[in-house]
Amino acid sequence: MIQPQTLLNVADNSGARELMCIRIIGAGNPRYAHIGDVIVAVIKEAVPNMPLERSEVIRAVIVRTCKELKRDNGIIIRYDDNAAVVIDQEGNPKGTRVFGAIPRELRQLNFTKIVSLAPEVL
Amino acid sequence: MAADSLTLARPGPKPGPAHVHRNIFQITNFSSYPLTSHNALSSLPRTMRAIAASPSPFSLRLHGELKKTPSPAFLSNKDRSFPAIPPRSVSLLSSRRPDHNPSEDTDEMFDELFNKYGKVVYSSGDRKPTSAEADDDAESLSFAVTLAKTANEVKAADIRVLFVKPLVYWTRFFIIVTAFSRPQIDAIGSRMRDIAEKQFKKVPSGDTKPNSWTLLDFGDVVVHIFLPQQREFYNLEEFYGNATPIELPFDSESPFRY
Repeated sequence: MIQPQTLLNVADNSGARELMCIRIIGAGNPRYAHIGDVIVAVIKEAVPNMPLERSEVIRAVIVRTCKELKRDNGIIIRYDDNAAVVIDQEGNPKGTRVFGAIPRELRQLNFTKIVSLAPEVL
Repeated sequence: MAADSLTLARPGPKPGPAHVHRNIFQITNFSSYPLTSHNALSSLPRTMRAIAASPSPFSLRLHGELKKTPSPAFLSNKDRSFPAIPPRSVSLLSSRRPDHNPSEDTDEMFDELFNKYGKVVYSSGDRKPTSAEADDDAESLSFAVTLAKTANEVKAADIRVLFVKPLVYWTRFFIIVTAFSRPQIDAIGSRMRDIAEKQFKKVPSGDTKPNSWTLLDFGDVVVHIFLPQQREFYNLEEFYGNATPIELPFDSESPFRY
């Protein structure tokens, strides 16, 4: 359940370290964002000498939440942190590798690119 | 290992020791196992613990290390009642590469324990026998090769078909293709969609508009169409270096790469 002002880790090597959500993209003024939702975020902390810098506004896809993800077969997945992968306007990830386990719901939401870069798909 | 276990492994540039991957999608009597994401490029300071709770009576908690083996009393408890679980494999059991684990819980140890004490208490019926699996693989292979041929007709460069099923559970084949302009990407995409729909009755999900990395997801087969700079930037072949390449019946080597 990510809302504006939420701090998220970055799960890729795009250069950002920490993001703050400022808006949730979606129809109907959503209150919270979950795994697979696109958010607009500002970079609060970045790795030096990379293309992304602090206080840049970018879009990101949420890949891990502390709020549980429930599946129809009864499996519940709850991560220890909130994390996102930085993407560009076309939906391509800005980094080349993704870290951590990625839930397979991202594949149904047309983020198969992130899934194909993932070291492990839950 | 049991023939009816699904395997999921991490794709990675370095091959591990004899058994690289060991993920078993069955409910077994193990109660805890390590799940840590040891990526050489990872900069995460803490291990991520994914806690999966399933409706089975013993919850599977993914801790740092397995500290104790399950007690024989626990293992031999035959009085457990199981609630009705929908017919799909529910639990996850995974062990990471042994050389990364400081408490010396190796794959061999898990294998031994599994053979000695492990009991299959519930396996859903969705695993097909190996012959049917091989048939499906052959079908997907012919589909992948057909798509690769279509790409070749549109003069796409450097077509690679990778068999990623042992590395990745969610698909069987990757087709990686370079196109040199967006109209060409459009052409490759639309041709592949037409052929897939007419001959194999498969409709892809994925990018509809041409993109510098266009992805067409046919379920068993995932097609990646890159522009040359993107192909080099993302370098998927290196990430899936352990996958076996499939021989194609035409010359797909481009004379030069960007």
